[in-house]
Amino acid sequence: MKPWTRYLYMIWLIVSKDIQVEWRGKQGVPVMLVFALLIVFLFNFALQLSPELQAGLAAGLLWVSLMFASTLGLNRSISLEVENKALDGLLLAPMDRSAIFFGKSLSNLFFTFMVALVLLPVFSLLYDQNMLHLNLLLVIFLGVSAFTSLGTLLAALSIQTRTRDVLLPVLLYPLALPILIASVEASRGILSGQSKFELQSWLFLLLAGNFLFYAAGILFYGTILEE
Amino acid sequence: MTISCSSQITIQGLIKRYHFRPVLDQLSLTLDDSSFCLLIGANGAGKTTLLRILAGLARADEGEISIGANHNFSDHLLRLNLGYVGHEPMFYNDLTAVENLRHYAHLYLLTDAEEKINQTLHLTGLSQYQGQPLRTFSRGMQQRLSLARALIHNPSILLLDEPYTSLDPLAAKFLDNQLHGLQKPGRTILLAAHRPQRLLPIATHIAWLKAGKICQHLPIEQLAECPELNHYLQERV
Repeated sequence: MKPWTRYLYMIWLIVSKDIQVEWRGKQGVPVMLVFALLIVFLFNFALQLSPELQAGLAAGLLWVSLMFASTLGLNRSISLEVENKALDGLLLAPMDRSAIFFGKSLSNLFFTFMVALVLLPVFSLLYDQNMLHLNLLLVIFLGVSAFTSLGTLLAALSIQTRTRDVLLPVLLYPLALPILIASVEASRGILSGQSKFELQSWLFLLLAGNFLFYAAGILFYGTILEE
Repeated sequence: MTISCSSQITIQGLIKRYHFRPVLDQLSLTLDDSSFCLLIGANGAGKTTLLRILAGLARADEGEISIGANHNFSDHLLRLNLGYVGHEPMFYNDLTAVENLRHYAHLYLLTDAEEKINQTLHLTGLSQYQGQPLRTFSRGMQQRLSLARALIHNPSILLLDEPYTSLDPLAAKFLDNQLHGLQKPGRTILLAAHRPQRLLPIATHIAWLKAGKICQHLPIEQLAECPELNHYLQERV
């Protein structure tokens, strides 16, 4: 097997293993989904917004609920590897450790994206706004990808601490703020019918975030995980 | 895919500090090809740290490690020749024994994965439990499955960290028999043990780790010539 094929195969093995564990245990995605739906319902009933205001806030609420749900998924993803020190098993495998980073990031992206696909029709119903746009799906993909890659990297940092469940959001949210702003602005623009040209600066920021966090993962993930 | 034919391990001037306290302090040790070395030492002597560094799970602050003719210890393909059993089983609780082993077999790019899985499950006496999730396994069964994981790719270097911990006498006896069978030409075994007496008949060498250094390293036949080490072993019967 050629080195690149082997590298991609290793990433696939980690993603498929995470999906298999999730399918068997069902402890990640259902909890993420219920939590995200609860946030949506709570905001909907707590704020009692007028239809005009609702339309303006839908994008922001979507992203807050997605990021909170994704944080639960990130915690679940890392606790899965901490339990029984399964992560050591991955570190022992003959692969470049950045493949572990890519595998974990992509599986976290996959799970959060699944949650988003269920959330969108619910948002459409509650906020009386068609949110099933292809462009919005692209923005969600880019935003969630940047968020989960950063989260995967920071989860590796917090893994050695006793307070990792608390530490992860404390580290993650401030650093993910530019991604959150860009995702919300791009989503709001799409929902209000702005053209791609008008949104390109936000899309560029999302792409740059992805590039930056994945590059940081390739460079530092292995070093972070070694004691 | 082989990196080096020889499984000789050479460690020179290894230093590892935790919170500025040296756990390994200028440690040097050479393990001959095909040797079975017992690594002994009191709690906190650094046995686990040494094994974790050799397994590539921890980073040494200073020093050099070479395996066979390969001096680039950080080469990840070197791990193809390495099997490690630590304190924890390194498995996923929601997956069955066979699914866990299949995952590792694929990570090691084994072409005949299913055959190797069946062989190692048979070797460790777990064939009848292969479809059970790991969470239903006892500590002894998990340890046996860990051994299966470490052996599935037929490594030339085997690092075993206190494999007898929390095993009942029956499971310990089973492991004794397993270790007898693991010795073969071309395979180097380093086993850290707190109470190593039961392994003295099958080991070829013994290394005593004390204050972060190897203070004695000798063939088992020469054990009688070292009263201090004998005394240490007697205390741990």
